[in-house]
Amino acid sequence: MTSPFDPADVTWSRVSTRLTAARLIPATLTFAVPVLAGAVLAGTVSPWFWLLAGVAAAMLVWTAIVVPRQVRAIGYAEREDDLLIRKGILFRSLTVVPYGRMQYVDVEAGPLDRKLGLAKVQLHTASVGTDAQIPGLPPQEAARLRDRLASRGEARLAGL
Amino acid sequence: MNAPGTASDVVPDRDAGLRWRRVHPVTPMVRGWAVVGGAIFIIGQQTLDGGPDDRGVVGLLTSPFWWTVPTGLLLIGLVGFGFALLAWRMTTYAVGEETVHLRRGVVFKQQRHARLDRLQAVDVRQPLVARLFGLSELKLEVAGGSDSGIAIGYLRDADANELRNELLARAAGLKSTVVAPALPGPDAVADAQAPQERHLAAPEAPAQPVLEVPMGRLIASLLRTSVTIFFVLFIAALVATVVVTGTPQIVFAVIAPFIGIGGYLFNRFSTEFAFRIAISADGIRLRHGLLETRAQTIPPGRVQAVAITQSLLWRSRDWWRVEVNVAGYGSDGGSGTTNVLLPVGTRDEALTVLSLVLPDLGSDNPRAVLDAGLTGDSRTAGPFTGSPRNAVWVDPVGWRRQGYAVTGRALLLRSGRLRRALAVVPHERTQSLGIAAGPVQRRLGVASFEVHSTPGPVSPAVHHLAAADAAELLEEQSARARTARAHAGPERWMEDPR
Repeated sequence: MTSPFDPADVTWSRVSTRLTAARLIPATLTFAVPVLAGAVLAGTVSPWFWLLAGVAAAMLVWTAIVVPRQVRAIGYAEREDDLLIRKGILFRSLTVVPYGRMQYVDVEAGPLDRKLGLAKVQLHTASVGTDAQIPGLPPQEAARLRDRLASRGEARLAGL
Repeated sequence: MNAPGTASDVVPDRDAGLRWRRVHPVTPMVRGWAVVGGAIFIIGQQTLDGGPDDRGVVGLLTSPFWWTVPTGLLLIGLVGFGFALLAWRMTTYAVGEETVHLRRGVVFKQQRHARLDRLQAVDVRQPLVARLFGLSELKLEVAGGSDSGIAIGYLRDADANELRNELLARAAGLKSTVVAPALPGPDAVADAQAPQERHLAAPEAPAQPVLEVPMGRLIASLLRTSVTIFFVLFIAALVATVVVTGTPQIVFAVIAPFIGIGGYLFNRFSTEFAFRIAISADGIRLRHGLLETRAQTIPPGRVQAVAITQSLLWRSRDWWRVEVNVAGYGSDGGSGTTNVLLPVGTRDEALTVLSLVLPDLGSDNPRAVLDAGLTGDSRTAGPFTGSPRNAVWVDPVGWRRQGYAVTGRALLLRSGRLRRALAVVPHERTQSLGIAAGPVQRRLGVASFEVHSTPGPVSPAVHHLAAADAAELLEEQSARARTARAHAGPERWMEDPR
């Protein structure tokens, strides 16, 4: 059985694998705090605190396993009239955004993203339900995509 | 975005020829009452919450310091009216060739320009206090997210209606030429009588009444909502508790939710009171309201999605409720009263209202398709494609009702076994599409399909379709939406398509 998330004759573009780092670094920092605190408290107050450190460490390992796969699962494809975005391993989704329906395009990059050379492109339609964001693009690619989407959107612009 | 050739740097000043007008001078009187009313409401709420003891406002009123209460109210009133007066001084509006302008704000100045070709709906609102003065507020909705509309108020009733007609005429593309083209259909006769006055006051497009909701049915429909049932059970439980325990004070402890439910029911009764629907060349006209009356005009092609729903207790009467997504309305204040196209009506009435939005469903036998969508399920033969049998594991109650059908003009999505619902999305109004599946769904080989519409009460989706069906629907629906968009009517609905 073919998966509905893999339409025929679509070549998917992948996002940069540096996105893995961009997502793992904040996660590591977040989980490192309870791991270290748990370890210190376990040594000084009560050995029960190993539980805290253990749980946090397990979650960290799980994140480290899942995030690279999640990043590899993100894909986008520019077709003649619409943009396809897919994501997710366990909970999969595929969104089709017609160029003529785009209201505006956001390009965002936080401090860590900039350090790693990444940017996020987000498309907005008149619907708030449209969840169309492509994280982890190299800045040139993000700029190219933004301009391309804007020009295609203008060519196919319709009312609401 | 700064596209090359933007007109703004070339044209010197488009605002130059505008005639700025003030709203009616009684406006501060009307607005000021809102502050006083709000203060009284808060004090009243505090008193109720405090219970019938010696403290709070009741205690204060019976104490030697009773005069502080009226004095406080007077001060609040003075501040409220004073601010409203200042706000009135600062509020001016103007109607340009293609835009409406509003300037307002005492501390933070605001200028807002709305493009008339992006107009989504025009409401004339008349709150109770304003009605006493014969005033109403005009509200223009444009599709710019929450709070993007322009509210011009208050104006004299006649002025508000005239302004509305002018705005609609301009938005329809009638005013952009000096000699207006003849209106189609029955309007041409009414129009021919006053052709010279066109530039002064646009005539109101004649409206043909479609239907009216009888008050008896509105009350009966409200009595048959789940909220009312809950309300009655709640009172019964309360009475039983008081009788058994012999402590009537318990009533004060639960009075807040009591007021909440009663308020909800009264609010629905009040806003849906005397609901009248009419159709005109300017689109659908609604008029309703007990305390606050509201006359809405939704021009053609502005409805993004329609939902026809039936709660469980309406089933024996075959009553239905019709709600719509309109870009400017959003989900207005959560209550969504502006999104109602028909509060309660028979099946025929509901389908009549649907036909106002979508005159041609693009099907040979529209009634059969709609009936299947309203009451059919996977056991009845029909044009609907439903969920496969194993969807019962993820949706044991409603899986038989899940289904979609495609006609020439719209996508129909049905769902809900207890509360039946049918969502209708015209092909050209599709924003974007999505499919999604969780781990259980993928194991069962099903996926959920969703049409993303503008914010509102209708969220068109059909869950747990066979994966192949979902993929095919996604592919074909995006193609259909593309074709329909290319052939969609002009934004200015009376302008000749170029």
